[in-house]
Amino acid sequence: MTQPNPGILHFHGHQYLRHRLVLSILSGKSVRIDKIRSDDKNPGLRGCLLRLLERITNGTIIEISVTGTAVLLKPGVITGGQVMHDCPLSRSIGYFLEPVIMLAPFAKKPLQLTLRGITSDDYDLSVDLIRTVTLPHLQLFGLSEGLELRIKKRGSPPLGGGEVQFLCPVVKQVKTLNFVDPGKIKRIRGISHAVRVNPQFSNRMIEASRSVLNRYIPDIYLYSDVYKGEDSGKSPGYALTLLAESTTGAMHCAEAVSQPGVPPEDIALTASRALLAEIRAGAKMLAGVEWANLRPEQFNSSVM
Amino acid sequence: QHSRRSKRKDWTKLIYSSLSPEVILRDDVSSSSSQDRISGPAMDDGDFFVVARKAPSGNDEEMDMTKEMQSTEDLKEWEDEDLLDSIRNLFITGDSVPHPSPKGIDDD
Repeated sequence: MTQPNPGILHFHGHQYLRHRLVLSILSGKSVRIDKIRSDDKNPGLRGCLLRLLERITNGTIIEISVTGTAVLLKPGVITGGQVMHDCPLSRSIGYFLEPVIMLAPFAKKPLQLTLRGITSDDYDLSVDLIRTVTLPHLQLFGLSEGLELRIKKRGSPPLGGGEVQFLCPVVKQVKTLNFVDPGKIKRIRGISHAVRVNPQFSNRMIEASRSVLNRYIPDIYLYSDVYKGEDSGKSPGYALTLLAESTTGAMHCAEAVSQPGVPPEDIALTASRALLAEIRAGAKMLAGVEWANLRPEQFNSSVM
Repeated sequence: QHSRRSKRKDWTKLIYSSLSPEVILRDDVSSSSSQDRISGPAMDDGDFFVVARKAPSGNDEEMDMTKEMQSTEDLKEWEDEDLLDSIRNLFITGDSVPHPSPKGIDDD
């Protein structure tokens, strides 16, 4: 066996694939990941995150083994600019947007990314959460002008058909963050949407959610987001996204997505109760941005 | 060159028997794996290092996902009025400290 190249970081397994790829690009270190689901009945890479990373960078070399269980990535420069990408229907847009959000502020040119696919599902952050929770948190790091996520069309699983546009400015210097006081919850906001089903579903969710949350504070505004015709995607679905903001600007979020055979009231109750559970868990940083708390410095020190 | 697998796999059996892919991945076919696990490193004289447990047993793949799955069972507790009232102090409308707050935040 040949001596492994000392310049290449070596990882195993499919877990944290996105973090490893993103940190590799940010730090400029080549990374080799093998044994990706090598013991699985459906082995190898899935989805096409690598292709998206290739599009927003220049000079990135990606080599994938024949079986798809190993990948080598030699990072290039993050270029940004106008990019269009069709996400596979196996994962929602959130899965692809998260790594991009980590990379985009450090691009050469402001990124204008259009993603098509599923806008909200059970596994990844929905576009609503990214727009209302993740992006405001980026502002704490000094990005504000021109940071935007437009939800052009919604797309529910399984067929998707949604479209979002992510605009991200370039940042010269990232601000550090010192945030310790959780404060007290002063208001609750929410977005409820229902596509390709009875539009009343949206209002029913709002009503059910209020039945739980109204007891706490009067400042609750749940918005019913209506998408019609072409803009509502190819599959029926509905979801409720909730966020609670504290006096110090801390945010807690929760959401629930429609499931076959579950009435909208139950979806709303799940979301509302999950929000209360988040608020009780309190002090921890909110779930929506936990993945971004890993910084390149940590990456370097952990692999030395 | 690696003698990690002490017992050779019977490929004919794996391919032509009507076992489900999950069972084959879990290595239930050859009972040797379960023995290895129990007997531990002492019995295995071939290798110094022994894989304590094979990576995901295949049934439920751990997905790389951001959201935590909400189990309706866990959220059932919120039907309880007392619990609902117990977090009132985390809202601006609640009393400053009715119950000692669990995290020990200093109040104003």
